[in-house]
Amino acid sequence: MPGVYFTTTEFVDDAKSAAKDRGMPGIRMVALPADKYYRARATREELEPIAAAVYDQMVDDLVRPLTAEEAKPSQIQKQHENTNIKVTGTDYQDAYQKVNDLFLDSHWADGLPIVPPTPTLVKAMLTATTRSPDEVLGQAAPKNGTATVEKIAVNSVMAGAKPEYFPVILAAMDGFLDRHYDLTHVQASTGSFTPVVIVNGPIARELNFNSGIGMLGHGWRANSTVGRALRLSLLNLGQTWPAVNDMSLTGRLESYTFFTFAEDEAKSPWEPYDVSLGYKPEDSTVTVATSRNPAILGGGAVAPWTAQGILDAAVTQAKAVSGFMWVHSQTYILVLHPDCAYELGRLGYTRKSLEQWLYDHTSIPYEKLVEGSTGFGHAKVIDEIQQSIDDGRIRPDRAQIFREALKPGGKVPIVQSPDDFHIVVAGGSPGYSLLFSYPGPNWANETKKVRGATLTKAGQ
Amino acid sequence: MKRSTNRFLAGALFLGGLCLARPASAQVTIEVMNPRGEIPPPKTMGISPRVPSLDGKRIVLVDNGKFGADNFLAVIAQMLKQKYPSATIVMDPKPSAQTITDLPKWYPTVKQQGDLFIFGVGD
Repeated sequence: MPGVYFTTTEFVDDAKSAAKDRGMPGIRMVALPADKYYRARATREELEPIAAAVYDQMVDDLVRPLTAEEAKPSQIQKQHENTNIKVTGTDYQDAYQKVNDLFLDSHWADGLPIVPPTPTLVKAMLTATTRSPDEVLGQAAPKNGTATVEKIAVNSVMAGAKPEYFPVILAAMDGFLDRHYDLTHVQASTGSFTPVVIVNGPIARELNFNSGIGMLGHGWRANSTVGRALRLSLLNLGQTWPAVNDMSLTGRLESYTFFTFAEDEAKSPWEPYDVSLGYKPEDSTVTVATSRNPAILGGGAVAPWTAQGILDAAVTQAKAVSGFMWVHSQTYILVLHPDCAYELGRLGYTRKSLEQWLYDHTSIPYEKLVEGSTGFGHAKVIDEIQQSIDDGRIRPDRAQIFREALKPGGKVPIVQSPDDFHIVVAGGSPGYSLLFSYPGPNWANETKKVRGATLTKAGQ
Repeated sequence: MKRSTNRFLAGALFLGGLCLARPASAQVTIEVMNPRGEIPPPKTMGISPRVPSLDGKRIVLVDNGKFGADNFLAVIAQMLKQKYPSATIVMDPKPSAQTITDLPKWYPTVKQQGDLFIFGVGD
């Protein structure tokens, strides 16, 4: 079926990249001037001159005969990415600088200096795991680069990670590359989402991950370089670049290291988060999730706060960001600072009962939704939820709850089930409690066990 | 005798020159590994043949649901109706904001409705 695509001048590179990735490099596109279109799109009157300016090109793209290349494009050749590169300088400092220039110019680095990934250093990284260098963890979106253990080791060296961190990095990559995880969205969306990386279990303590004051900040090599290794791995395996095919409009506010921290299991009144998922206390795990920037719910060293006030703020915040009502995939990570968690434990909450409380109190009366739009095109909220029921994205064991909710007097949950509220304890004493929210269209939360570690007691 | 003396002097000067010259700077080479994942290249496909004219064609305007796309395509529809009165314009907004799993079911329905499509606005 012949067609033509409208995009804007800011997205031409992205559109061409996506077309090539999907094997149709010849797709005809018409680019609207971004500096005019986005300002004018609210009204048809203002769009008329913009449409008139591109109309002839649109028609021409529909009637102009194909070139031979458009009709039968050359087969895209495989890029060979496995050859080592030799960089020569007048001395070590010069060669080091040239390596850094090469990597940044090639879009292989993040803008900060990298450790040159020499075969010796990569080999040392690989000694930290029993997993084979050739093991393929998956294909990394958006370009489907093959993610092998060795390639992740190269990126981990570049990030400055210690070899003993490597099994944690691999477990996190297992999560991102899980076939259920929507990696494309976090890698490419204009929404500027950021991965959250939570380490649980004895390996977090053994590797000295920060889970206390400053847990999202700098100064802890494990937090910083594990996060950066993931940043570089996703960049290089998915082959993304800002304003080319990573269209994160603001960039990610924790772009270099992501939100990487450990749960403070010792200060939690409950079992460790991963144990609540079914893992054993002696297991070490990594949870990866996609999130908006976290909202601070309360706490701190100055203003008074209460545990109930923090829960109420969590409810307000969760409902506020659930606008599209993709209830089948929305998830929230509530990070309670230890004092708040202690207080909730003293009040009798368990993790499960707290999840249920959040589920109940964030549900929205049907009457408030019935006329509501998702704000996304023509989709109405209740139609969106009904479709999720019909096509099975809302699990069969939860579907009846939503059917009942979509009636007068019903209350519509904003997540599929209470355990889509993930509750983790971390932060200082005093500290702040935070809410990470993901209102995305597809699933983006996975926990994977650390395995194959050779340099640590945990994670073997 | 004179010839051998000259040869001796030339050799001595050469060796002396080597000794006096600044030592060549020691270049350093760093071998690094490529951090990128190899991409299995997709099978390439050509685009569909064009039509000679839009006259009499059924043209499907596909609104991708992004803010303003409906307005833009409405303007395009109006222009098409004026210039190609014999064409049929079909507005077919994407049925859902949920973007990934719906599409394989939806694409064939677009094809059933028309001869051509115009999609917008991608961002």
